[in-house]
This record gives sequence, C-alpha cells and structure tokens, in this order.
Amino acid sequence: MRTLRNFLQALRGIGSNRANAALMMLGIVVGIASLTVIVAVGEGVKNKVLKRIANLGFGPESFSVYSGAGRLFFKKAEDPQSMTLQDAEDIRALPTVSIVVPRQRKRLQAIYKKNFTGTRAYGVTPEWVIARDWEMEDGRFLNDSDMRRKRKVAVMGATPIRNLFADKDPIGKMIRLDDTFFEVIGVLKEKGVTESGYDPDNRILVPLTTTMSRLLNQTHLHSIRVRTYVPETVPETMEAVTEILRRNHGLSALAADDFRYVTPAGIMQWVTEQKQAMNRMLALISTVSLLVGGIVIMNIMLVSIRERVKEIGVRRCFGARRLDIAQQFLFEAVLISLAGGLLGSFLGFALSETSNQLDLLPATITWEPFVAAFALCALIGLIFGVQPARKASQLNPDETLRA
Amino acid sequence: MKEIRKSYSNQAFETEVLKGIDLNIEEGEYVSIIGPSGAGKSTLMTLLGCLGAPTTGSYLLDGQEVAGMSDRALSQVRNEKIGFVFQAFHLLPGVSAFDNVMMPLIYCEKPPKDAKDRVSESLAKVGLAKRMDHAPGQMSGGEQQRTTIARALINRPKIIMADEPTGNLDSHNSAEIMKIFDELNEEGKTIILVTHDPEVANHGNRIIKMKDGLIDSDETL
Repeated sequence: MRTLRNFLQALRGIGSNRANAALMMLGIVVGIASLTVIVAVGEGVKNKVLKRIANLGFGPESFSVYSGAGRLFFKKAEDPQSMTLQDAEDIRALPTVSIVVPRQRKRLQAIYKKNFTGTRAYGVTPEWVIARDWEMEDGRFLNDSDMRRKRKVAVMGATPIRNLFADKDPIGKMIRLDDTFFEVIGVLKEKGVTESGYDPDNRILVPLTTTMSRLLNQTHLHSIRVRTYVPETVPETMEAVTEILRRNHGLSALAADDFRYVTPAGIMQWVTEQKQAMNRMLALISTVSLLVGGIVIMNIMLVSIRERVKEIGVRRCFGARRLDIAQQFLFEAVLISLAGGLLGSFLGFALSETSNQLDLLPATITWEPFVAAFALCALIGLIFGVQPARKASQLNPDETLRA
Repeated sequence: MKEIRKSYSNQAFETEVLKGIDLNIEEGEYVSIIGPSGAGKSTLMTLLGCLGAPTTGSYLLDGQEVAGMSDRALSQVRNEKIGFVFQAFHLLPGVSAFDNVMMPLIYCEKPPKDAKDRVSESLAKVGLAKRMDHAPGQMSGGEQQRTTIARALINRPKIIMADEPTGNLDSHNSAEIMKIFDELNEEGKTIILVTHDPEVANHGNRIIKMKDGLIDSDETL
C-alpha cells in the first residue's frame, strides 16, 4: 500500500521533470528500437528464404545438382558448362532414384503476332511435370515422342499466356521463341506470384532435345533435378551422384567439385548459419546500447537529484522514510526505462513496417522482441536506478533545507 | 531538551554549533526564537523538528526519547506530530495546491479515508478553497505560504514549526500569515517560530534569544 503510494509519487515525479525524463529515455529508445528492427529484419529474411525454398518445388525426397562450382544459387557459377546428358543418364541408373529431370534454361522473348513478353524457356524431359507435381490447365504436357523427334512444341505457364493471348485460346497457336516457331500444346495451372515477388508461372517448357538443337545450340545442362523413392535415401544418393559426376568430369582426387547441390536442407542450413551470425551481432549491439542507455539514466538521475534536493527534503520533513524516497526514485528509474522501451518498441515497429513498405529489407514482426524489451528495460531500470535511489535516500532532511 | 550539543565536522575541523542547550516547551506555547545569523537558531529548529539527531544530549518529545531513534520512527514522529512551514515555501513544483497539501498523508501509517475532505478543509481554513487546482507557479507568494500552512496542518499535528515564514513576503501578506498562526495557537497548537523580524517575534508569548550556540535570554511575556 505504501509502496503503491510511492509508485504514484514516482509517476508524479516523472510528470514534473519531463525534460529530464525524456533525456533519460533517449538511450533506451535507441537501443530497443534497434533491437526490434534487427529481430524483425532477421525474421523477415528467414521467411523470404523459406518462401523461396517453397517456390523451388522441393519435396523432402528431392534435390538438384547445378553445373558449376559455388554455393547454393546465391553465387554465380564459375564453370557452368560441366554437366551433360550422360551425367543424367548415369544418375538415372542409380537404384534409389525414381525420377531424373535434366534441364536447360534460357531467358528470351516470346512473341505472338504483335505481342511479346520476357520469359524463361526451360528445356526439360516429360518427367518434369511429375517431379514438380504440377497440374495441367489445358492441353497436354510434353511426351517421349516430342523428345525423340525434337518437336517444336511448347507448354506455357499462366503469365506468358496472359501476356500473349489475352482471352484467346492458345492451344494450337504458333509462338516465336528467338527465331524459331513453336506450337502451343498445353497450359500449366496457375500457382500465383509469391509474397517475395517470384512468379513461378512465368515460364515456357519445351523438349530438352529441342532447346539443345534450336535454342541454345549446346548440349551441356543447366541442372539436373533428382527425385528418390524415399527421403531417407537422399544423403546416400547425393554421395553416389558426386561419385558419378566426378568420374564423368574426369576430376582428380584433389580437384574441387565443378557442380553444386541445392537441397531444402542445404538452404535451411545456410539460413540458420546466417541467423546465428546475425543473432550474435544483435546480442552485442543491444547489450552495448542498452548498457549505455542504463548509464545515461543513472547519470542524469544523479544530476537531477541535485536539482530535487528540496523536494526530497520536504518529503522527508513530512514523514517520508529513507525507504520511501529510495522506492520513489527506483520506481522512477524503472518507469522511465520501461517508457523508453515502449517508445523504442513503437519506433522499431514503425521502422520495420516502413522498411517493408518501401521494400528496403523484408521485416517480419513477432512478439518476442517486445517481451524481451519489457524484461530488459525493467532490469536496466532496476540495476541503474539503485545508485541514484541510494543517494537520494541518504540525503539528510535538515541539510536539504539549508540552502 | 537537556544538554543538547550539535557539532558539524568539516574534514579537518569540527564546528560546534549548539554548545549545550536546555529547553522545555509546554504544549500550547507560542515560542519565537530570535538571534543573529550563526547563533544556531536553524540548527536548534532542525533538532526540535526531528530532522536531525543531536551529537549528544537528550530530547523528549511528547514523553518520547527522540535522540537515537531509527529513521523509520523519526519519520513517523515528523509525520504525525510536527508540521513545517518554510521561508522558501518548498512546494512541489508543477503539482496542484490540492496535491501539495495531500503529500504528508502519503507517508502516514494508515492514510485517513476522508483524505480529500481533509485537504479541502485544510485549504479552506487558510482561505484558499478556490485555488485548489492551481500549481505553485500560478499563485502569489502569500497564497503559496498559505498553501504550505495548509500542508503543515493536514495531518493534525500538535506542533507547527516555522522557519522565517514571512521572510519572502511583503508586509500585507506577512500580517495575514501571522494572523493564521495566532489563530492556530488559540486553537491549542504549539507554535515555534524562528525569525529575524522582531515584529514577527512579538506575536509569540515567549521569546528565546540565542547567541553563539547558547540561549542568551528566555522571557515569557
């Protein structure tokens, strides 16, 4: 009860010393705001990458091997001409493998009459549609006959269909890819643009044999998608694939791989590593800034006690115990720290939202940093309020009134 | 009060401000303490008001030994038995007259249930019923001093201690303040005034003159 009354006096004390209170909050506001933003951006980046993984259409039993050394798909391949159809055939022969889809890729313009659109043409095998579990909207997918005869036929995603044909029925129409005409034989079901802005429907699929001879005039592959029967065999399959590729490419025991794997697990591991590094930095930054914030509170409070000697003296004259004064100042420190935390959280929230809106950095707001901010600020107020509270309570009432 | 001595030490040397004071003040007295600067008036006041402990000696207040009391007990004595009025008012800045007067009740063992009525009553008594919501900055010196008297009265103490209560006021306001003190004394409150001003001192019915840390003269009118 008495404690509650001291708490109310602390509120009053802050109210009549607003300028000091605002100064005291500053450090905490900055510390908590940066903490909130960093956590939100960390979450945002993680979510973006996770969505990207989803876009890749990986199941747990699948992985891809890309030509060229490097790490995942974030780095441009150093030697992108290492993989051939022979590699794909050898991988297909492995007992654990159910489907192998070798791919080529080219960015190009698709043209129909006077309409054109920028898109990606993929040379794939008929198994692609099974490997990706993609359904057809209309027409049919590529088949073995198209492959054997190097037919100039195309299966289109929803985006180029919309851009080229508007409302017309595309089946049987002729489109031009680079200088070659292709007949549209099928349309893929639309998946829709993801939140991260990737459009999986912006693609045109043609037989791999046709891209080799007509579009790219080369036989090396961009990548091979491998699907095993069960997820458990993925690691051993990857080992076997490594062996095949190194042997086929004639790599000596000392040479580095000239291909790289993209797997859901690999991407997740990368994301986790990045997040851990970021968390370490976050811990450092927030510790330093909150420590500084606490020291700011302590020092301004010590100075403000000099200004408030009279107030303390009068309170003591009218019956305030040392403990009452100590409580009041400790409450003030904690309240100011919490208020700083609240403001900082708001500021951090606003900055994260702005960053999202302006597409600067992806930020996902979660509740954890707000709880952490509350706990940290209460702790800082307590720790750094002790010294000022002690000093205020030890002033003698008679000496405070002497001036 | 018996054989009261108070000294302040300042690094190298010690200054004895009160050099053995024997004093007895009865309930209901109206005492003025006068004397030149440095005579020890204010120091005596802080001891009488239980704001500090004497270096040696004994002080019985209302039959209770005060010297050597704990901070907690001393605070309670100040809260319940003594009301202070200061020369420089010492109101809490930015806080309304009402809340300023309320302040001593915060530190009561058991705050009265009718606290708000008591504040209004106390302010009415000093003629400030209409000024309750004003902050000290919005009031004249006389009004501020009347607020501090209301604050001193709020917990119904037996003793009112005033340190140069008219020191910062003009003669008109001084007269009004002194009138309030006279009335309070008639109601039975013990009043102890510290002052330079002989006119103010003459309101009392006992005048204690101090000199060099000792009582020089003590006459009852």
